[in-house]
Amino acid sequence: MLTNAFLGRGLILLSIALAAAGAIVGYWGGRRRTEAAHQWTKSLAYSFGFSLVLANVVMIKALLEHDFSVKYVAQVGSLATPVHITIVSLWSSLEGSILFWGAVLGLFTIAFVWRVADKHRDMAPYTIATILTIGVFFGFLLAGPANPFLDTPLPVPKDGPGPNPLLQNHILMIVHPPMLYLGYVGMTIPFAMGVAALLRGRLGAGWMRPIRTWMLIPWGFLTAGIVLGGWWAYEVLGWGGYWAWDPVENASFLPWLTASAFLHAAMLQERRGILKGWTLMLLLTTFCLTILGTFMTRSGVFNSVHSFTQSPIGPAFLVFLGIAMVVSIVLVALRMHLLTPEGEVRSPVSREAAFVMNNMLFVFFTLLVLVGTVFPLLAEAVRDVKISVGEPYFNRLGVPIAISIVFMMGIGPALPWGRASKEELSRLLGPPIIAGLLVTGFAAALGVRQFLPAVTMFVSGFAAAVSLRDMVEPVAVRFRRGGVSWLGALADAYQRGRRRYGGQIVHLGVAMMAVGIALSSSYKIVTEGVIDKGQSLSVGEYTLRFEGVREETLPHRRATIAQMTVMDQSGAVLGNLEPRMNHYRGQMNPIGTPAVRSTLFEDLYLSVMTVDPGGAYVGMRAFVNPMIYWIWIAAGIMVLGCLIAGWPARAESRAPATAPGEGVPA
Amino acid sequence: MSDAYDDLAPVPPPKLSGKALGIGLAVVLPLLALLAFGFGRDPHVMDKPLVGKEAPSFSLPRLADGQQVQLADLTGKPMVLNFWATWCVPCAQEHPNLVEAARRWGNDVQFVGIVYQDKNEAVEAWLDRHGGRAYPTLIDVNAKAAIAYGVYGVPETYFVGADGVIVDKHVGPIPWPVLQDQVAKLRGES
Repeated sequence: MLTNAFLGRGLILLSIALAAAGAIVGYWGGRRRTEAAHQWTKSLAYSFGFSLVLANVVMIKALLEHDFSVKYVAQVGSLATPVHITIVSLWSSLEGSILFWGAVLGLFTIAFVWRVADKHRDMAPYTIATILTIGVFFGFLLAGPANPFLDTPLPVPKDGPGPNPLLQNHILMIVHPPMLYLGYVGMTIPFAMGVAALLRGRLGAGWMRPIRTWMLIPWGFLTAGIVLGGWWAYEVLGWGGYWAWDPVENASFLPWLTASAFLHAAMLQERRGILKGWTLMLLLTTFCLTILGTFMTRSGVFNSVHSFTQSPIGPAFLVFLGIAMVVSIVLVALRMHLLTPEGEVRSPVSREAAFVMNNMLFVFFTLLVLVGTVFPLLAEAVRDVKISVGEPYFNRLGVPIAISIVFMMGIGPALPWGRASKEELSRLLGPPIIAGLLVTGFAAALGVRQFLPAVTMFVSGFAAAVSLRDMVEPVAVRFRRGGVSWLGALADAYQRGRRRYGGQIVHLGVAMMAVGIALSSSYKIVTEGVIDKGQSLSVGEYTLRFEGVREETLPHRRATIAQMTVMDQSGAVLGNLEPRMNHYRGQMNPIGTPAVRSTLFEDLYLSVMTVDPGGAYVGMRAFVNPMIYWIWIAAGIMVLGCLIAGWPARAESRAPATAPGEGVPA
Repeated sequence: MSDAYDDLAPVPPPKLSGKALGIGLAVVLPLLALLAFGFGRDPHVMDKPLVGKEAPSFSLPRLADGQQVQLADLTGKPMVLNFWATWCVPCAQEHPNLVEAARRWGNDVQFVGIVYQDKNEAVEAWLDRHGGRAYPTLIDVNAKAAIAYGVYGVPETYFVGADGVIVDKHVGPIPWPVLQDQVAKLRGES
C-alpha cells in the first residue's frame, strides 16, 4: 500500500542511490572530463535534489493530513494545531529538521547545477561529486538514526501532542530556522567548490569568483538567521535580551565569523594573489564549523536551551565531522606546493595589510568563541569538574575584538592597494576620523559617556563615513566630468561597482548594528516589582498601571493576559501592553510572552514573572532598552547589501570592483 | 585563465607537505577527541555528590561591609545557599522567589546569596534594582566556594540542614513550588 511513510522511505533510499551514483560518476568525470560524464553527473544531481524535495512534500502532506501512522507526525502533530504551525513542525523536532536539511541541500544542489555546471565544466563534476558525497551522509541519517518516516507502533494514536510550544509562540520562529538552515546548508556548496579546486589542482582567481558568490549567498542567510534568532529570543523568551553566548548561538556565530573572513581574504587573493592557502583553509573550516554547530545542537553533548535531547545521530555527526576535517587537511597538504603566493604585502599602510589584519581579528574571534564553547568539556575531561563559561568571558574578550573589527572595516576601504604616502594618509583618513569624533561628541552630548560605548560610537562613525565616501565619491567623479546628471552618474557608478556598493552597504549595516548593540547593552534600565490591581510601577520615564487580567482560550493553548496601561511622566496614556502567560496543552510549565512597545530609539519591554489568576496582582519585570530596533534594521541593511553584491550579474557589470578614482576611464 | 571545458591541462601530481599535514592534524585531532569524550555524558544530568555530606566550609567577605563570614557563623539554622551572578539571566527570574521565601520563612531558615564571578559595584546596582537585600550576600572571591561546592553554573541552590549536612541541591532557576517544598522540608527537620 502506498502510504506516506512508505513513499517517504522510498524517496530517501532513492536519493541515497542517486547521490552515490552521482558522486562516483562525478569524481570519475572530473578526472576524465568527458561530455557524457558531465551530463550524467548533472542529471543525477538534479534527480537527487528533486527526490529530497519530494520527500519533504510527502512529510508536509502527512502532517497536514494528520497521518499519525507516520512516527514523526505522531510526535509533533496535533489536531488542535493551526495549519501554518503544522507546516512549520516539519523542522520542529530532530528527524524533521534533518529531513528539511535534506530539502535545502537538494535545492542548493539544483541551483548550483543550473547556474554553474555548464559555465565551469572543468570544476563542476568534482564539485557536484563532493556535494553528493555529503548528500549520501545525510541520506544515511534519514534512512537510519534520524528516520522521520518510520511507522508508528500500533495502535495508531488518534491525536498527538503538538510541536514544542516555544515554536508555536511567534511568527519569527517560522522564519528563523529556515534562514539558519539556508545559511548552514548553503555552506556545503562553496566547500565543495574548494574541494574541487584542490582535487583539480587549479586554484586560480577565475574559480575564486564564483566561490565567493556562492559563499555570499549562505552568508546572507546565516546573517539573517542569526539575527532573527536573536529577535525571536527577545520577543518570546522574556529576559529582555537577544544574545547570551549560549553554545548554540555560538555554533551559528562561528561559521559566520570564518565566512566573513573568507569573503575578505578571497578579495585579496583575487586582487593580489596572496593568502591562497589561508583563504582555502577558511573556506574548508567554515563548512566544518557548520557541521560542528549541527553536532553541538544535535548530540546532547553541550548544555544549551536549544539542545535536542540526546539523540543517536551525535556519533554519526562526529564521524562525519572527523572525515570532513581530515580530508580537508590532507587535500591542502597535498596541494601546498601550488599555494605559493604570487604577490606580497609591500607596506603595512595598505589595503592588503588592513585585510590581513581584519582576517587575523576574525580568526582570533573565532578561536575565542570556540575555546569558550568547548571549555566546559575540556575542564571535565582534564580535571573532572563541571563548569560553565559565562557571559563575562565572552564579553570581556569579544567586545574589544569586535570594536577592532569595526575599526578595520573603516581602515581597509580607506587605504589604497599597494602603499599609501603620508599626504594620502591624512587625506584618506582625516575626514572619516573627524566624522567619527563628531558622532562620539554627539552621542556624549546625549549621555553616552562610558568608555566602551564611546569607543564604539567613534569606530562606527569612522567606518560609516568611509563607506559613505566610498559610495559617493565615484558618483561625484563621474558627475564632475560632466555630461551626466547626478542620477546618471549614480547609475553608472553602481553598474560598474555593484559588488563594492553591496559591500559598503553591508558595512553601513555593521556600523549601525555596532551602535545598537553597544547602546542597548550599556544603557538599559530594568525594574521589577509586584503590582496590585489599579496600582502603578515606574520604569525609566514610563509609568505602568496594572488594570487586571483577561483570559484567552484557543484550542491548543490558554493564556492569562496582564493588561497594562503605559503612561509617560505627565500621565498621558501612550498605549496598552499585554504581556501574557501561556499554558499549552500537554505542557507542565507556563511560558511567558513579553509585550514590547518599540520606537526607533527605545523599547519598553514587559515580561510577566507571576500572575494571580484572579487578577489581584502581577509580578512584572520592565525594561527600557535603548536602540534595539537599530539592530534589526541594521541586519536588514546587511542582507540588502549582500543581495546587491551577490545578485547574478549581467555581463557588463562583471568588471572588478573599483577603488576610488582608479577604475574611472579618463 | 580560462575555465573552459576543453582545458585538458592534466591534474598536477600531488605532493604531500608533511608540515601542513602535521599542523592540521595537531589542531583537529584533539578537538575531535574532546568531542568524542563528550558522549556518554549527559550535561543535563548533574551529579549531586555532596548531597548527604557536610557542607564545605568557607570564609567569604560580606558585600555590605566586607566582613569575613564563615559557614560556622551561619549554622544552627537550616540554610538556603544560592549561587548567582548579575550577568546571569535566570538568576533574575528566580530572585523574586528567593526574596519572597526569605520574607516568609527567614526566621526559621537562613538565606544566603553567594555571588559568583562578578564585580561588587555590579552586585550593588543589581540588588538596588531588584530590591533584594532581604538576606546577606557574600562575594565568592576567586570562586573558591563555587569550586568547593562543585557549582556547575549559576544559578544553583543548596539546601543545608541545621546540622550542616547538605540535604539537596537545585540546578537552574528555582521555581516557587520547588523552593516552597524544599524550605518546608528544611523547616520540618529542625
